[in-house]
Amino acid sequence: MKNLRMKAARAALDLSQQQLADAVGVSRQTINAIEKGDYNPTIKLCTAICRRLGKTLDELFWEG
Amino acid sequence: MDHYHAGIAVGLAAGIVAGLIFVAFLFKKKVLDCHFDERQELARGKAFQYGFFTLLISDYVYALSDMILGRWCDVLTGITICLAVSLCVFATTCILKDAYLSLREKPRVVMTMFALLTLINLGFGGAHAVSGDLIEDGVLTFWAVNPIIGVATLVILIVYIVNHLLCSRGEEEE
Repeated sequence: MKNLRMKAARAALDLSQQQLADAVGVSRQTINAIEKGDYNPTIKLCTAICRRLGKTLDELFWEG
Repeated sequence: MDHYHAGIAVGLAAGIVAGLIFVAFLFKKKVLDCHFDERQELARGKAFQYGFFTLLISDYVYALSDMILGRWCDVLTGITICLAVSLCVFATTCILKDAYLSLREKPRVVMTMFALLTLINLGFGGAHAVSGDLIEDGVLTFWAVNPIIGVATLVILIVYIVNHLLCSRGEEEE
């Protein structure tokens, strides 16, 4: 399932996939794969992304 | 062991040592690097698995072909073919999963190096083909190792470039 909330949060901060990838120490393709729902990140990467985007885990990754 | 074969063994050993020193130099200069992210490590693990099983199967096929057809190539050449096939499977899987190059490697530099490796090895292969060293008495000799490696690096280079072109077109459409 696509992670549109993460994509929206990134766009709101005017960050490109490459900028977010550099900030959290992964490749641009990994960020792309997470947003497209092709890759399920570890909790470590999830928290790093949340920190950079100023969101909580619930807001970005919880599918309630 | 006669002088001819001792010379070949020393030459091979010197080549391997020179290759290892060159690779160590590339790592020191950060041209080659091994920092992959978690998705890449997973993808490379899968690719390694495919490469490993390809190596097992190709070794078996080579041994069977030797038994059924008789000796058609030197053992070194046969093993190199098996290694080249499994390396191609590993590299292709990594490339298709965007996990071939690490986070710090520059695609242009690495692919230029691959192109050079391809040219050098195919060049050596061509020279041996012209001098008639590649095949002796219907047996593929160990001189074929160079062109085999050249073909393997060429395959990897082509897969990388095609995948890169297709991906960038996909991104443009997105």
